[in-house]
Formats: sequence, C-alpha cells, structure tokens
Amino acid sequence: MAKNSSARPLMSRIKDNLPIVVISIFSLILFVAIYIEGGNAQIFNTIITGGMWALLAVGLALVFGVMNIPHFAHGESFMIGAYVAYFTFTPMQEYLYTNPNKFLSAIAPLGAILTAGVAGAILGIIIEQLIFAPLRRRTKKDWIMNAFLLTVGISFVLSNGANLVLGPNFRGISRYWDVKAVEIGGAYMSVDRLIAFAISMVTIGALWFFLRRTRVGRAIRAVSQDETGAQLVGINLNFIQTLTFSLATAMASISGASLLFLFQAYPTVGGTPLYYAWYVVMMAGLGNVVGAIIGGFIVALLQTATQLFVAVSWTTVLPTVVMILVLLIAPSGIFGSEVKGVQEQ
Amino acid sequence: MLILDTKKVTKRFGGLTAVNQVSMQVEEGQVYGLIGPNGAGKSTFINSIVGRFPPTEGVVYFNGEETTGLSAEIMCHKGMARTFQIPRPFPQLTVLENVKVGVIFGSVDKDPMPADERAREILKFVDFNLPIDTPADRLNAVQLKSIDLARALACKPKLLLLDELASGLTPGELDTIMSLILKIRDQGISIIAVEHIMRVIKGICDTVMVIEYGTTIAEGTPDEVLNNPEVIKAYLGEEEAENA
Repeated sequence: MAKNSSARPLMSRIKDNLPIVVISIFSLILFVAIYIEGGNAQIFNTIITGGMWALLAVGLALVFGVMNIPHFAHGESFMIGAYVAYFTFTPMQEYLYTNPNKFLSAIAPLGAILTAGVAGAILGIIIEQLIFAPLRRRTKKDWIMNAFLLTVGISFVLSNGANLVLGPNFRGISRYWDVKAVEIGGAYMSVDRLIAFAISMVTIGALWFFLRRTRVGRAIRAVSQDETGAQLVGINLNFIQTLTFSLATAMASISGASLLFLFQAYPTVGGTPLYYAWYVVMMAGLGNVVGAIIGGFIVALLQTATQLFVAVSWTTVLPTVVMILVLLIAPSGIFGSEVKGVQEQ
Repeated sequence: MLILDTKKVTKRFGGLTAVNQVSMQVEEGQVYGLIGPNGAGKSTFINSIVGRFPPTEGVVYFNGEETTGLSAEIMCHKGMARTFQIPRPFPQLTVLENVKVGVIFGSVDKDPMPADERAREILKFVDFNLPIDTPADRLNAVQLKSIDLARALACKPKLLLLDELASGLTPGELDTIMSLILKIRDQGISIIAVEHIMRVIKGICDTVMVIEYGTTIAEGTPDEVLNNPEVIKAYLGEEEAENA
C-alpha cells in the first residue's frame, strides 16, 4: 500500500488526507503567528501545555480503543493524583525545611509524583474490578452508553467523596523544585514546567515502547483490534482490560501530580483537564493513541493563540469551534479512528 | 481415548433453551461432524464448550479433564482452538502478524522455533497463496477463513472446532478444504466440523451428530444419519420425507 501511494500524484494524496493537510497548514500558521506575537516564551509555553494534554489524552484514547469506554472520570484520576502528590510532598518538604539536604530535595518531588502514579494504578484496578468487570460479565449490550453513564457516576462519587473527606479547600504548592527559572532562547521557563513536560514525554515514550515491544503490550493491541479473536488465541481479556484501565488512570494521576504547582488540588480540579483531553481525543479520532499525542499539541496551539490574539476568557471557545468543525467535516477525527468495536455495536 | 466428552450440556438464554442435553463423545483423531438446520444450536453448543458462553447445565470433559465453564483463553491453552463462521481477524495486522499472534499467545509451552518461522510454516501448510504481508482488512471472505484457520492451528490445538469453514466456497475450493481438513487430522489433531454442505460431511466425517431445536436427533456414520427419516424430516419437512 505504501508503495502505491508514493507513486500516486501529489494532488490525489493531498485529497485523500485532506483533514490532516488542512490542520497541518492551520497549525503552522498559528505557530508562526504565535512566534511573531509572543516570541520564544509563548512557543515553549505551547509545547509544554501540549505535552500535558497529550499525556492525558493518550490515557483516554487507550481506554476507548481497548475497552470502548468513553471515560468521563479521567479528570478525577487527575484530581486523585494531585491530592496524593500534595499529601506526600508537603510532609517531605517540611522535613527538608528543618533538615536541608540537596539530594533529597531534588528527589522528593519525583517520589511524590511516582507515588501518585502508583496510587492511580491501584485506583484503576479497583474501579475496573469493582465496576466494569461485573458489567462486562453481565451484558455487553449497549456497552458504550452503560460505560459512559458509569464513568460519569464514578466522576461524581469521587469528586464529591473528595469534598466530603477533604473539604472544598484548595491545596497547592508554589513549586516543586526551589531553583531559579532556566533561560532558553531568551525565555525564562520554570524548572517545574520543564520537568512536567519531560515526565509527560518519558511516560508517553515508555507507554509507546510497552505497547510496541513487549508481549503484554502486543496483547493489548490485539484486544483493541478484536476482543473475541484475541481471547481465542489465548489472551486473558480480563487481565488485559484491567491493566489497560489501570495504566490510563496512572497516567492521569501522574499528570495531576506533576502539574500540582499549576492546578491546585481541590475536588473538582479534574474538570478542565478532562475537557481538554476530550477535545484532543475527539479531534484526533477516538481511540487513536498516536493521534492523541499530536492532537495534544494542536489543542495547545489553539489555546495559546486564543490567549494571545483574542482573550484569555475565550480559551475554551476556539478549541470547541475547531472540534465541531472537525466533527462536521471528518466525523472520525483528523487522524481517523481505528476503533472497530463502535461500528460493530 | 475420548478427546471430548460432554454430558447433557444445556444452554439456556432466559426462557429459550438453545442447547438441550447434548452428549457428545469425540474419539481422538476423529473428524466429527455436527449438522442441523439453521438456528438448531450448533454454534451455541460450540460456544459453550470452548468457554465463550459457559453451559447452564451439564459437564464437559476435555482430554480427560473436567473443563466445564472455563474461559476461552484457558481452553485455548489447554489445546482447544476454533474458527468462526464469520472470521475474526485482527484487521490492522498483516496476514503473517495475525498468525504470529496465535503462535505467541496461543500455547503455553515454548516453541523452539521463532514465531516468525513457525507462522510462515503454518501459512504454507494451509496453502495461503497471497503475499503474507497483505493487511488482513484487504482479504476476501475465503482468504479470511484461511488465516482464521492458520491462527487456530498456530495455537497448537489437540482439538480444532471448525464453524462452517466450507460455507461460501466454490466446488473447486471445497476439494481443497476437504483435503486440508484431512491433512490436519493426519497430524493428530481431532476435529469437530459444523457444516451444512453434505458433500463435505460425506467426504471427511467419521461420525456425524444431527441436532434440531437444540436436541440430538441422530448420531452415527454419515450414511446412516443422512438416511435417517428423522433427519430428512428436519431438513426437508414432513411431506418430502414421506415421498423419499
């Protein structure tokens, strides 16, 4: 197939991939405009925000692609991650305040973020085994609708539960690493932001490697293509689905934890990240993991452009408009959806 | 030795009894035919022994061991593989990769041969004659059946369940598939074939069971069964049976 397409004239190739071409040109224009107006600082800002959205959206895409769950409690995993990081980091910070230790202060935030990731993974296992596994055994009829309603329910329970147990207070930190901002190309970036970006890229990279190169990762991809077929060649569906859900939850918790300096932990903190992650996933194509990574950066471009050229309060408007346009013109997303289960059901 | 022994397997969906007390004994090395009119419960019976839908009642012994209600992936590891009436390939993988998934995940004992080589060997065995790097979503129904079969074989089964493998094939292809099924049996794999086409049943089956409305109505050699008045009635209706 690849051979065929390279021999075909350029015009017809452009025509076949029209949504991708249009969005690439559009993104390029935005990129240049942001650079001219805001300089390096805004470009870095965009890339870093894009990395965050990508990490969140990859989890959503994975859960949708493998399990056909439209996950609307993803923001609550973000919230839990933020809380766990807060409650592990602040005691460590207090200890280090009285007993200064350079090495420990460098490593403590990473410990908090890792703890949040582990907590997220455990939360994912509990939710999957307690809620989705029984539903799967009971009936697969109207799965997407049922799963959607369940995730909305989970989201309510978790955010109100947090409100009940921890109260509506904002719990945040000003920074993880108490060091000066780094100068890159004339722009000052805080170390927290750079490391948050690095964490999201490393996590996505690790996930990529896991899905492509390991036995279990390959089993996950087989399940995403055909559940029944995968089970018949000896893949344990229950294990794969629990693992996938737990991975996605862990990724959301990691991003919640690594962004604690930006989003303070409070019961409904997950809303904004959730909506951005959904913008990304709908634009890129449901269940398309690679698309979700690129989509994260496109949404970040739109966001920065709106903040620069329109007004901060319009930040969510432009992504929504673009999302609606994409759905009108290319209903399966810019990069297309490879999810088979949806059409089947 | 019996490779499969089911005792009064019953499957109910709510008030509907799709399979009613079917007892089937399959000898090792046999090709066992399972026939019956559309909707008789053949596929449901197959599904309840491979672990897709566990049986409501009854006991299943596979290879001398009780396996009632075990899940499909465990049955696969125990050596029971199947093909589907409507093939279930992984659409975005190539033909070779589809079979490799079976080689890698299908069997618990480690194969000394690399997965790649083994998958090629199986594709050769089933006479798959297109380039093996063709994506599966570009194959036609017959080709899909053939990789479905290759994938099932890749799981190293002791018992292979073929759900209407021959339906939709041309007469020429029927001969090929019949000799292929016999070739698989000669490798020591027992086979249960759900089939509609009488020529295939006469050509390959050692024993045939007929079910109608989920109940066994006849069992025996193909000739015996196909001349059984009950069976003719089930297939052709009462009046035709009298004329015959």
